[in-house]
Amino acid sequence: MTQRRRQASYAVLWAGAALLAGALGSAGLVAAHTGASGVVKERMDQMKDAGDATKALADMMRGKSAYDAAAVRRLADRIAGHGGDALTENFPEGSLDPPTEARPEIWENWSRFEDLAHRMEAYARALAKAADNPRAGDQAGSGMMGQGGGMMGGDAGPPPERLAKAPPEAAFRRLTQTCSACHKSFRVDK
Amino acid sequence: MTRRRLALCAAAGLSVGALFGLWLLAGPGAPDRAVADLQGDVQRGAYVARLAGCIPCHTNPDDDRGPLAGGPPIETAFGTFYGPNITPHEADGVGAWSVEDFARALTAGESPTGVHYYPAFPYTFYTRLSNQDIVDLWAAVNSVPAVAGAAPAHDLAFPYDQRWTLGAWKRAAFRPRDPAQAKDMSRGAYLAEAAAHCGACHTPRDALGRRDEARRYEGAREAGGGKVPAITAEALREAGWSADDLIYALQSGITPDGDVFGGSMADVVNGGTQFWSRDDLSALADYLLN
Repeated sequence: MTQRRRQASYAVLWAGAALLAGALGSAGLVAAHTGASGVVKERMDQMKDAGDATKALADMMRGKSAYDAAAVRRLADRIAGHGGDALTENFPEGSLDPPTEARPEIWENWSRFEDLAHRMEAYARALAKAADNPRAGDQAGSGMMGQGGGMMGGDAGPPPERLAKAPPEAAFRRLTQTCSACHKSFRVDK
Repeated sequence: MTRRRLALCAAAGLSVGALFGLWLLAGPGAPDRAVADLQGDVQRGAYVARLAGCIPCHTNPDDDRGPLAGGPPIETAFGTFYGPNITPHEADGVGAWSVEDFARALTAGESPTGVHYYPAFPYTFYTRLSNQDIVDLWAAVNSVPAVAGAAPAHDLAFPYDQRWTLGAWKRAAFRPRDPAQAKDMSRGAYLAEAAAHCGACHTPRDALGRRDEARRYEGAREAGGGKVPAITAEALREAGWSADDLIYALQSGITPDGDVFGGSMADVVNGGTQFWSRDDLSALADYLLN
């Protein structure tokens, strides 16, 4: 009788331990899949917010929503706030904890990474300044062999000061080309 | 007598085997293209180069060698490829080629001396290019400055580094097309399947590098752990892509949720689709979504 009771209490103990272990284990898994933490979480939130602002800007640029210069300024400044040092300081060397999408090449090529982060800020500020300038028309399909930024090198293009005086589409284009250049070099597309 | 018969049989078997081996390794060849009498147009050819995605693999934006003088390293599951110098340089480029040589390279995957190309060069798609597009492309290639210097040799893992096996690969995986067939394709299909070679990345491949056409556009994995998304009509619709979204993304690199393409799609947009006409983008979007 006592032995049976002892056996039963062992069973309860084991079941409890197993349940606890399972709960802890799955909590860990959940954390690894959705919950980034520390700088990884901070920079993912940063990028998400910049992406949301980019979406709102793109919708205006492509005529999906009405163009609103004040909103463009606000959105562009929001992106600028996520660029430059605000971006690079969230990339301490070797911070590659899951679920990061960062590539280790960031720290092998830090000066380029830093340069792209500062371009992001500068072009976003230029866009904010260009918000009230006259809009551009449709400029697609103008590329020739031997011309065009994409063919001759991704980083060449008008400086931010000139973009600030050009149609807002030009600064927006340079800004998103900078996003693309950085994603291509330093992000794994998961 | 029996022994002699056995020897004869063995000899016959061996020769049949050898002949079969030779046939296998020679590769499938391709119908000759009647390109000699066509007139090429440089401007149109430059546009065809954007349609066919030539620039990202044959021009390296990180050096100052100029257009088509050799591309950046292309990392794949089989090793690293280097798009060669295709400027009109006599020794290091295609300066000594005829337009027929150029057509054979594109449509049969064969060099003027009969060397088989790796399918990283997407001749399995270009075999459907029209004669006029090939001739225009040739005019454009010849319009860029000749640049000396060959690209580095491909750096591939065994057994993929055994180029002599490529003929057999082609027998198993490559169907050369007759130009007449291209006439039945819609513009959108032509852009996707002959020129822009979307399936080169978006269709999964087997260990031999053959595309699994039963799973066309279902997405794949990139070397280095990246993911190539599915672009089947169902997948695109499920993810909420409209034709306008596709057109805008191919012009700007910006997706409907505000992300900006990285990976090789960044090159596809920068070196290619951003220069496409609205009509062509629209035809491609229509083909992919329907």
